[in-house]
Amino acid sequence: MEVRDLRKIYKVHERQTGLGATVRSLFKRTFKEVPAVNGITFGIEPSEVVGFLGPNGAGKTTTLKMLSGLLHPTSGEARVLGYVPWERDDAYLRRMTLLMGNRTQLVWDIPAADSFLVLKEIFRIDDATYRRRLDELVELLELQPLIHKPVRQLSLGERMKVEFAAGLLHGPEVVFLDEPTLGLDVSMQSRIRAFVRELNRRTGATVLLTSHYMDDIVALCRRVVVIHHGRLLYDGALADLAERMAPYKLVAATLRDGATGRDLSLYGEVVSRESGRVRLRVPRAEAAERTARIVGDLGADLADLTLEDPPIEEVIDRVFSGDHPFGEPAREREAALTR
Amino acid sequence: MTLVRTYRALLLAGFQQAAQYRVQSLLWMLFSIVRPVIFLAAWVAVAVAQGGDIGGYRVGDFAAYYVCMTFVSQLVMAWNSHEFEWEVNQGRLSAKLLRPLHPLHYSVVDNVIFKLNTLPVLVIILIAISLSFGARYRTEPWHVLAFIPSVILAAALLFMFNWVIASLAFWATRMRTANTLFQRAAFVFAGQIAPIGLMPGWLQALSFALPFWYMMGAPTEILRGAVTPEQTWLILGGQAAWLAVTYVAFLSIWKRGLRAYQAVGA
Repeated sequence: MEVRDLRKIYKVHERQTGLGATVRSLFKRTFKEVPAVNGITFGIEPSEVVGFLGPNGAGKTTTLKMLSGLLHPTSGEARVLGYVPWERDDAYLRRMTLLMGNRTQLVWDIPAADSFLVLKEIFRIDDATYRRRLDELVELLELQPLIHKPVRQLSLGERMKVEFAAGLLHGPEVVFLDEPTLGLDVSMQSRIRAFVRELNRRTGATVLLTSHYMDDIVALCRRVVVIHHGRLLYDGALADLAERMAPYKLVAATLRDGATGRDLSLYGEVVSRESGRVRLRVPRAEAAERTARIVGDLGADLADLTLEDPPIEEVIDRVFSGDHPFGEPAREREAALTR
Repeated sequence: MTLVRTYRALLLAGFQQAAQYRVQSLLWMLFSIVRPVIFLAAWVAVAVAQGGDIGGYRVGDFAAYYVCMTFVSQLVMAWNSHEFEWEVNQGRLSAKLLRPLHPLHYSVVDNVIFKLNTLPVLVIILIAISLSFGARYRTEPWHVLAFIPSVILAAALLFMFNWVIASLAFWATRMRTANTLFQRAAFVFAGQIAPIGLMPGWLQALSFALPFWYMMGAPTEILRGAVTPEQTWLILGGQAAWLAVTYVAFLSIWKRGLRAYQAVGA
């Protein structure tokens, strides 16, 4: 998958309500331009699982819609499996899927098994392949008790699993997942994650995943692409995100009884203090030296000391709030793709 | 062959779904025949008050006309522009666009299922109305034969016309105005308010030039046996020409519409 300088400027129609305005709007319309995706460039290798991160309105879903052929971009290029997505070639539609949390593509009033049969014909899946894939999906997603009930009688989590099966029956090579665990309880989120991991392992499908739950990203993606205000901020290993985006580490010091009142602010910025446990933010470059000073100065007053990267949620929050050094890796990758 | 298998699967799923809404479908069908029956009653009352004849139409002719009009209206009925607006605004269209099957095919299936489900009851009601009003048909066997392609062309024309209007939903969030304009035009020019033969000459000429009469009035006149073979050929030609024009317009608008589609709500 290759994406170069992809842009989508939404033209938002501004008009008054009412019969006259509606008739007038058929002939003369006024628009406001809203940039949703503002020139992003990235590439994804076959079988990669990539997290696509960004706050609400960053342009994640718009990008996925363009890559799945639902939206035409304003400018830029993309090729997925060798196809230009928005040309909507039937052969392309048969090889990819876009699954959106909380959105149904099944007929509500009939059992999912009947909708699957319709999809089988639409996607031209032969009988043997259909049976094999359905058996696999039923096993992986534990669908057996669900697929013969009308879809409207299923819970949100059950419906999401059935939606997954519907979207994957045709064996897509590229899977776009937009908030697949939205609104699901912790247990169901965990099952969906396990399923996506197994799907990628078994079929080698390329997965581009957006989620507001960092647990989804941490569990599934080694690489993340971060966008904000439609621009690419970071493209690289999830493990390096903290190093690139948060120039500090966290020191957690546990003080012994009798020393819990000691002032540690001279070693770094105190983030929290609960009984004898103090968390400090220290500059990444000086983390080792400051840790050594704490150990040396506190001596026997220190019961425990740990040094760690800030939680990924905190890093992401810093990225989205603009409190970060701008993403050099992203620019490097863009330059590499452009060459 | 693949499309046939797809249609068979869609029809099976559609019939299962429709089975749960049988009463709703029947009520919908009954609502839609109320208007022609009211017009029939009104024209019969006027004809009786004027000595039983208006412009050559006797009570039995009005009855035949409106019974045939009701039958044709049901057979050619299309509602996809309403449904499409909802699908676009709710983001439901996106799920269909992600599949390698044009959304038009789902509408064809819904349309056929509704008609097959409601036809038996409709026919019984229309036979009862025919008998009560003493409908006078001049239908000959060749009229029935000609009616078949004519009503198919009419249904296809109205269906495609609806899709042209529906496709405007890619640009306009609310399509009710365009729909209302279409329905009002069809009301006059399709022969719903009165048989075209009772209208002033200029209005008749306009009706023959516009597509609306070919959607309902034309097959109605064939079915009640009010046209000559020459007129029938002209009608079929007019229907085919308008269908071709509408289809080409649809293809062009749809292609542009997809470029403008914003996939809101999905």
